[in-house]
Amino acid sequence: MSSFSNLDRLLRGDLTTPDALKAGRVDVSVPRLLVATLVCGGAFGVCLGLFAATGQTPDGWWQMVSSAVKVPLLFLLTLLVTFPSLYVFATLAGSRLTLMPTLRLLVGAVAVNVAVLASFGPVVAFFTLFTTSYPFIVLLDVAFFMVSGAVSLGFLSRAVSVLFGDASAGGSQKRARLVFRLWLLIYGVVGAQMGWLLRPFIGNPGLEFVLFRHRRESTVFEAVMNLARDVGGGW
Amino acid sequence: MKRVVDSLLVLDGLLRATGVFAPDAERVPHRRLLTVVCLGGALHGAIMGSFAGPSGALYAALKLPVLLILAPLVCVPSFRVVHTVLGLAEDEPAARRAVMCAQATLATALLSLSPLIVFTYVSSVHYHQAKLVNMVVFGLASLAAQLTLARHYRPLLAKDRRHRLALMAWPTLYLFVALQLGYALRPFIGNPDFPTEFLRADWMGNVYLDLYWAVRGVLEV
Repeated sequence: MSSFSNLDRLLRGDLTTPDALKAGRVDVSVPRLLVATLVCGGAFGVCLGLFAATGQTPDGWWQMVSSAVKVPLLFLLTLLVTFPSLYVFATLAGSRLTLMPTLRLLVGAVAVNVAVLASFGPVVAFFTLFTTSYPFIVLLDVAFFMVSGAVSLGFLSRAVSVLFGDASAGGSQKRARLVFRLWLLIYGVVGAQMGWLLRPFIGNPGLEFVLFRHRRESTVFEAVMNLARDVGGGW
Repeated sequence: MKRVVDSLLVLDGLLRATGVFAPDAERVPHRRLLTVVCLGGALHGAIMGSFAGPSGALYAALKLPVLLILAPLVCVPSFRVVHTVLGLAEDEPAARRAVMCAQATLATALLSLSPLIVFTYVSSVHYHQAKLVNMVVFGLASLAAQLTLARHYRPLLAKDRRHRLALMAWPTLYLFVALQLGYALRPFIGNPDFPTEFLRADWMGNVYLDLYWAVRGVLEV
């Protein structure tokens, strides 16, 4: 089975059926889904970098190449940073999933996220050809990242509910469910900061292409606070 | 690769309290537990100390396993006496296994949280932010250790309610000693305003007296 037929079956829910999950089985292939994640993320990265490449940024073609590498990296590095602690704390809490099924489930969630994101790629490319407004493209991309994140969250929440949420679930399974839900929060925070570290993805017009932007604020949260302060007139 | 998977399976048994790490297993796997504590502590220490550069990483990699081993070692005689006084001497080996497994869980949880520390440092945070993140990580890892301790104590508590006192005595005594030892062995992260050093010049100080004088100083101001 190829990487994409694996991804297709995952999106249809064939690989995470309630029966399999209840038995503690997650039947996805990690290497195949990683290949699909790299390809889909790379494709969306090309669409993101198109804005810079269509004449908005000097040397903009490099932005396409760099974003094609950085989008899959954003997801995989975030998983790499957060997975070990999730596994240890979920196991301590009494999760019935062992190491590999836990990894398969999370790689599956990331693959769903990136597949949905890649499906928005043509829309991003289409709007890139019809607008020169940088803020519009930024907002559009942020919206697509949020929608794809929500779909992935739904996938994971459903799987976690089946795994740990049946009526006979003891206290340990409830604790494991809580650990997974807390992990989603940590994954979101780390992902936001990872995106901040790996930026630029689109390429601010007028600025030359750089692989990584010089950091004025060290965290995305400081940057958001500063932005809010600027908007609020320095409250 | 097979070795890595086997090692991870060992850790899985530790976290679930199964196999050789089960509360009712025949003997205490001293060597394995010690290996987990030493390796986990050294790797996490290296990551923790990397804030101050390579020498800081090396120093912390040497000091964190010492902290994780020496602190419980200092408490073991008192723990033994507590068991004897409570009339629980025959359960003392099981309690010792619980404490050792909790310490190995602490090292494992610290190691699992290390990528978050690396990520925080890469985000070029300030020293005080780095300190806060490390404190949160230690808090979470201690919580993980408490879960293992509670899991191992469950059969003991079912057998005799007096084990509750011993269960309360251990974290209290351990925290009291570990805080002082951690203070003596500092710095683990390394304040960039000070030169990187193995131990601070005032390493023989008393953390509780220093806290007392600090609070008194604040009140007098």
